[in-house]
Amino acid sequence: MEQWHYDPAANYDAALTEQLRVFPPGLDTLVRMVRLLAAVVLRCWLRVYHRLTIIGRHNLPAEGPFILVANHASHLDTLCLLAALPLSRLHCTFPGAAKDYVCVNGLRAVLAAVVVNALPFDRLFAPWQSLSVCAHLLERPDTILILFPEGTRSGGLAPEEFKPGVALLAASCGIPVVSCHLAGTHAALPKGAWCPRPRAVRLTIGAPHVYPHLPATKESAKQICRELREAVMLLGKVEPEEFRVRKPAPRKMFQSPVLQP
Amino acid sequence: MSPREALRSPVALFYAAVAFGLLLVAGLLLAVLRWGLRKNVDQAWQSYRGWLFIVPLTAAAIFLGREATIVFFTGVALLGFREFARATGLDGDLYMTVAVYVGIVAAGVVALVPDPAQPVPGWYGLFMALPVFVIAGILLIPVLGNRVHGQLHALALAIVGFIYFGWMFGHVAFLANAKHAYAYLIYLLFAVELNDIAAFLIGKLFGRHALRSNISPKKTWEGALGALAVSLALPWALWFTFPHLGPQDLLAAGLIVGVGGQLGDLAISVIKRDLGIKDLGSIIPGHGGILDRTDSLIYVAPLFFHYLRYRHDLNPSP
Repeated sequence: MEQWHYDPAANYDAALTEQLRVFPPGLDTLVRMVRLLAAVVLRCWLRVYHRLTIIGRHNLPAEGPFILVANHASHLDTLCLLAALPLSRLHCTFPGAAKDYVCVNGLRAVLAAVVVNALPFDRLFAPWQSLSVCAHLLERPDTILILFPEGTRSGGLAPEEFKPGVALLAASCGIPVVSCHLAGTHAALPKGAWCPRPRAVRLTIGAPHVYPHLPATKESAKQICRELREAVMLLGKVEPEEFRVRKPAPRKMFQSPVLQP
Repeated sequence: MSPREALRSPVALFYAAVAFGLLLVAGLLLAVLRWGLRKNVDQAWQSYRGWLFIVPLTAAAIFLGREATIVFFTGVALLGFREFARATGLDGDLYMTVAVYVGIVAAGVVALVPDPAQPVPGWYGLFMALPVFVIAGILLIPVLGNRVHGQLHALALAIVGFIYFGWMFGHVAFLANAKHAYAYLIYLLFAVELNDIAAFLIGKLFGRHALRSNISPKKTWEGALGALAVSLALPWALWFTFPHLGPQDLLAAGLIVGVGGQLGDLAISVIKRDLGIKDLGSIIPGHGGILDRTDSLIYVAPLFFHYLRYRHDLNPSP
């Protein structure tokens, strides 16, 4: 009888935290199942506790890689954006997370890897390395990158200036960049808070932008950043018709039939 | 099993005192060896650090009650199968692996829910019949996917994975439903680990003749027989924790742990040697993977469980 051929996973004998820190992650069925379960629970929780409203979901490209950019004020932002994407693409969605924030503590790293599938972005020392990881991921046919071009959680009403990374990824290639605006997340879970407050949250998804005509230079990056930031701010200002406060329809009260004597 | 019951149960309190007392004594001993006698104790220290994780975690789960214990051991079984799946490459077959994970969770759920036919915790009948349904489900996967190539290999790995690492290990969790859960469950964990340690220490001190040279070169006849002697003696020392057992039960409990412990260890070693790897993972510092730690337990737990159930029933009617 010929021997069976086994092909073990690359780092099967590394510690669990080490396995989870490897990026891009390999196939790990248990992690995927836990992530799927967490995604379903988180979606329900966002809908119920934060009354999450998603507007303009039709703007998301149906297939092919794309980048989501949004203003960033809270940890809830990532979860809200994830909730807008189809579950079938959950495992190829990579939200960018600051490496210096996520990878400092074991529990945070495990949560980020398992629940969020976070891409640890080195914003301090080697941002170009992280950008090249992003570019490699975008070569796959179904990658979705979630990036916050502000680079940190800002508290203000208007988003801060965008960092040029996203622009460099999008320039001179046909990858769509979808601008999104998140409202209410700062009030629900500001920086430094632990317990989310039951505030309403709204996610507006804008039309995708493509920049195949612009070269990947500093000037065009600045231009793209400006355009994207304006698009995000515009989404925040527009009060779309769908989101007008709907008055609940007057409920028909049950009237007991009058008994005829 | 509940926190209140644990605090009132002399058995649970006794084992808690023994477990944490042993940790303390071992720590002091290591400290004396390291700083007093200037011996090199790095390896033992690594292993000790692992125990510092394992003992409080397990104790907390058992203290919190039946549900927490079942959830804890089901989680351990999931992580254990994950190691097996990653080491054999079964993890590449998504549906097959998902089916086994679902089966393991189902074993945990069946251990949690009460029996609809009689008022006892844990649905024993379905737990015993579970392999039928899970294997039926696993066999369905290649049929539904219309696949042939390499399927016997994947099926075999998935079924071994579920039966051995999911269902047989699940007996540990199911033991939490017994009336004398503290006595049975903690004795099982304590005796199996003591058997392992005894085999290792006695083998290291007196070992000359290899037990199974191809499978595990470090295991010796001397270690195995010494561990058997320790395991045979242990139930008599702990008789007061299960006073309803007779002398022949104590003898059987000692034999099951003493013989089964070594066999379980060797059974996992066969898998590891065939795969050509040393450890199946490294989740516990100084101990390797989950399966490297629970190897003996997986083999012993079902034998111990069914012996006790046959002789005394888990929830004897008063």
